[in-house]
Amino acid sequence: MAMIEVRGLRKSYAALEVLKDINFSVDKGEVVVVLGPSGSGKSTMLRCINLLEEFQGGEIRIDGEAIGYREDAHGVRHWCKERDNAKLREQVGMVFQSFNLFPHRTVLQNVMMGPLKVQRRARAEIEPIARELLGKVGLLDKADQYPARLSGGQQQRVGIARALAMQPKVMLFDEVTSALDPELVGEVLRVIRRLAQEGMTMIIVTHEIHFARDVADRIIFMDGGLIVEQDAPATLLSNPKSDRLKLFLRRYQGDYLAD
Amino acid sequence: MNILISNLPYLLKGAMITLALAGVIVTVGNLLGLLLGAVSALVGRLGQSLITLYIFVLRGIPVLVIMLLGYYMFPALGYRVPAYVAVATAHIVYVSAFVAEIVRSAINSVPTGQIAAARSLGMRRFGILREVLLPQATRIAIPPLLNNSLTAIKQTSYVSVVGVWELTYAAREVVERTLASFQIFLGVMAIYFLICYPLSLFARWCERRTTVIQ
Repeated sequence: MAMIEVRGLRKSYAALEVLKDINFSVDKGEVVVVLGPSGSGKSTMLRCINLLEEFQGGEIRIDGEAIGYREDAHGVRHWCKERDNAKLREQVGMVFQSFNLFPHRTVLQNVMMGPLKVQRRARAEIEPIARELLGKVGLLDKADQYPARLSGGQQQRVGIARALAMQPKVMLFDEVTSALDPELVGEVLRVIRRLAQEGMTMIIVTHEIHFARDVADRIIFMDGGLIVEQDAPATLLSNPKSDRLKLFLRRYQGDYLAD
Repeated sequence: MNILISNLPYLLKGAMITLALAGVIVTVGNLLGLLLGAVSALVGRLGQSLITLYIFVLRGIPVLVIMLLGYYMFPALGYRVPAYVAVATAHIVYVSAFVAEIVRSAINSVPTGQIAAARSLGMRRFGILREVLLPQATRIAIPPLLNNSLTAIKQTSYVSVVGVWELTYAAREVVERTLASFQIFLGVMAIYFLICYPLSLFARWCERRTTVIQ
């Protein structure tokens, strides 16, 4: 049973076509890692799945339900009401490259923001859950700090806890370690790996190929707004079929003169 | 100096009117401007354009001209309105345009990632404005807003031009009577300063407080 299904996804900014016919699906509990060079459309694709971007063609289904657009009797697509789209975003957690924590709220308040302001649940009911999540990402002692006092790695772990607090069906990770110092990357990846082991359905956009090999059930390689290859990590990374992926992997392995 | 002291009670009576006038203008002007600035973050492109037009038109007109316009507008439209109300209305409209612009630009200066994060949690426009944008924009906007309020207080002296009685008008009366222009206006300067100084201190305090949190 596919938890996320993307069919014929197309997206352009004015004349620039950034996603050209993207097709894939993610099963419940599956971890899919998306690799690809900058500008290949990975982040845009994630943002479409969370309806942070409108798209011009195709269909995205979360847990069987088509999201973002409805077709009228004449087959014309209409962007759904903000209320409905917001409802759907609740089911899809997203973690950002630049953390995007709310700087005017403490760590605990950041984590409780969604349940409190969107789900309108009682504070007494939520706070233990929020603290438990902070414990899970190893930051319970930072609950009352403001984000500015935290390191990048800590901020990103709060970002993960904040997204998890909504109890999403799916988690999307958008280059969540790209803005971190190398020695802070590990603490964030460990949290993500644990989520994977617990059976969370995830799409992870990253440049950490070793992590991808370790955590992914499947890797999707994107380039130029298309999915070029997708396969199990071992197969895809050891036997790349396309020239584009071969070149990408050579560059990644430090052959910076490859072209 | 004696002339100033003997006329001080009269001047202070004028100062009370100035205070009252400034209080109304600053309060209502800020509220109206805040509303316009916040609304421009909520509404579509047409509403935004209208608010931008409002801001740009008023920014391009001297406050004295707006005030004269306000003063003569009511009679021209066939309404009889007390002079105080007419000039206060004009000043409020003028002040609100500057406040709206400060609030609008403060909201715009909140990084777009904040909006993306809030949306990804399922928050909607009004909630995002209330929980995410306004609290952050306020911190950015407070120093320029207080500065703007100080200007608004001082601008109330223009109302003396159309014969509305307040501190500056009272001072001119005293000068006509006593011919001690330098002494009297020195005293008036001190009174305006004493009205504005606490607000200046408050602005500094706010600024310090917001820098510590960041």
